[in-house]
Amino acid sequence: MNKKILVLLVLCLLVISSFLYAADEKVQIKFLHRWTQYMDYFEEIVKEFEEAHPNIDVEMQAISNDPFKEKIKIVLGTNEAPDVFFSWPGEFTNRFIRADKVLDITPYLEEDGWLETFIPSQIAPFIYEGKYYGTPFRLDGKVFFYNKVLFEKAGIEKVPGTFDELIEDCQKLEKIGVTPIAFGNIKPWAVSHYIGTLNQKMVTDETRYTDLDPAEGTWTDPGYVEALEKYVELIPYFNDFVNALTHDDARATFFNSNAAMMYLEIVEVPELEMYAGDELKENWGVFVFPDIPEGKGNQNYLTGYPEGFVVSGTTKHPEEAVEFLKFLTGKTAGKLEVEMLGWINGIKNVVGPEDNVPKGILETVDLVLNAEEMVNWLDSSLSAKVWDAYSVQLQMLTDGYSTPEKVMEAVQKAAAEVRKEFE
Amino acid sequence: MRKKNKTYLLYILPALLFIIIFVYVPIFQNFYFSLFNMNSYTDKWTFVGLSHYLNIVKDPIFYTALKNNTLYAVFSLIFQVGFGLFLAILLDSKFVGKKLKVLFRNIYFLPSLISITAVALMFYFIYNPNIGMLNGFLDMLGLGQWKTAWLANPNTAIYSVIAMSQWQYTGYIMVLLLVAIQKIPKDLYEAAEIDGASEIQKAFHITIPGVKGMLVATSIITVIGSFKLFTEVYVTTGGGPYNTTQVLGTYMYRSAFLFDEMGYGSAVAVIIFIITFTTSLLQIKLSNRNKG
Repeated sequence: MNKKILVLLVLCLLVISSFLYAADEKVQIKFLHRWTQYMDYFEEIVKEFEEAHPNIDVEMQAISNDPFKEKIKIVLGTNEAPDVFFSWPGEFTNRFIRADKVLDITPYLEEDGWLETFIPSQIAPFIYEGKYYGTPFRLDGKVFFYNKVLFEKAGIEKVPGTFDELIEDCQKLEKIGVTPIAFGNIKPWAVSHYIGTLNQKMVTDETRYTDLDPAEGTWTDPGYVEALEKYVELIPYFNDFVNALTHDDARATFFNSNAAMMYLEIVEVPELEMYAGDELKENWGVFVFPDIPEGKGNQNYLTGYPEGFVVSGTTKHPEEAVEFLKFLTGKTAGKLEVEMLGWINGIKNVVGPEDNVPKGILETVDLVLNAEEMVNWLDSSLSAKVWDAYSVQLQMLTDGYSTPEKVMEAVQKAAAEVRKEFE
Repeated sequence: MRKKNKTYLLYILPALLFIIIFVYVPIFQNFYFSLFNMNSYTDKWTFVGLSHYLNIVKDPIFYTALKNNTLYAVFSLIFQVGFGLFLAILLDSKFVGKKLKVLFRNIYFLPSLISITAVALMFYFIYNPNIGMLNGFLDMLGLGQWKTAWLANPNTAIYSVIAMSQWQYTGYIMVLLLVAIQKIPKDLYEAAEIDGASEIQKAFHITIPGVKGMLVATSIITVIGSFKLFTEVYVTTGGGPYNTTQVLGTYMYRSAFLFDEMGYGSAVAVIIFIITFTTSLLQIKLSNRNKG
């Protein structure tokens, strides 16, 4: 009997001590991102980080793009919140900042010159009320990609500089039986890129920034209706069934030279180089969204915002989490990021002429770096409710079931409801 | 004797506790949550009383959802119970050979074994306007003018989703009814045959009255199922285009997880609970009357 008790005691001690040992030795950091398709890269990053920091154990999880938007809200409410997680700067992140779910990393950034390693225009989006809440992981911008062969066939000599020229070119392309613009909008973030750009070009900065503030926005400026009227001019030149196709479905038609243009993000260049048909691969070019001379907004801005990572406001290990963030969005990881994924992060001179980076990537990244100012994606800069009203109406507008005025009426109504929550 | 009477309590206690903790407590908790303004990532709760319910009643999308659930229930009754009964009678009749009976029974039953998500994804591709089988089929028949984006056209979307469920569950209901038919004593049919009854007369005077209990049960199952609907719509249309295919389940999900309004979502859940609960009460009452 005594022997049995002794054995049990020893076993208990062993179990308890192993727990203590584990808790004492390693700090565990939970890391959440949204690139389920590029796990190789993130596994490599985690491996390298763990090798350099033997006392930190990184537990990685990934959720794909659309479900991520829903699930992040739930995990942030639990005790299992990830220590370092992906986020889109703008209202998407700001609501979490207001709920103290994101750590203010300003002191860390200012400490040892970390802040100076970033391209200023790419870290600026992570400022909220004067403080830094995240670091950029991938810079991005939205431009028209076009098929040079089809443009030549249609007799288009130079890329359109104004919106009216764009419409003329669309007509020329249609005449030779080519779909001018490929567009898939089953998930309406796609249309948000068009409308975000058009709004910015038609409305003054001051009005736009006021309206983007959920506590202030009224969305009554006539420029928003005019922006939608411009969008309506483009609709006849899209492919059929816009709202029934995914972005990738539509992109496949552009990649296979069945459509002449597509409004794409520069981060899609690596996919173009991998999946496009041979004709397009050799003959693609880009141009920025054409100017609208009568618009009140600055015509030299570019739509597109960096995406990045933030540290949880409830993390038990802020030091280690920030250390991982530093590595994840730093230069070493950045070099590997270009090499493996073809994306550029927010660090100054992350690639030099000595690196073997495809010309297409460098050229398009220059468009971002030379833009006077970047304009945040419309969907992630709006509160969920306003964007829902906007997106539903935009899909109806695309199908001919709504009008620009009706769209803005619905947005104004939703904005009024959201304003009430801030009173 | 007395002691014996009490020990049985001990045996049902674990199951009872389990049900109370995981079923009944959440139901009451959910009702309590529906009285607050809250979201998933803050601890800030504000009491709003019944105002979520008032807002739901004022929301046009709530009525779209209610209408869609009802449409679902009506179509499911007609196809799954009505057509399912017809198939069951046909498969039990002498028109179909013994081997074919087994074959058809399995063929019809098979779809109900596939996970809803898989079926929904499959139909998502069947309905695809460019590469989908349905539009390809219409082209083949020379009916190209009928081609449309089935799930993105507000006039066809909800019916396309409903059609998918009929394809999946008619066989299931049919098998339930077939089992009930096979329980009917054979001598009734023999007696009818001696009296010179036709197959149709036998169906109407023996089979249908004989499976009345199962008909009630399957009707209730399909109606409750129609109001608990979520996956079918979430995977195929997500409630779109422009909220025309919202059902109560997706409407609840949208409020809770897209708009961060957990309280509002809970209120919708309470409404779904009331609808399905009254239907279940009805079922219990009807089936009791049937026995008596």
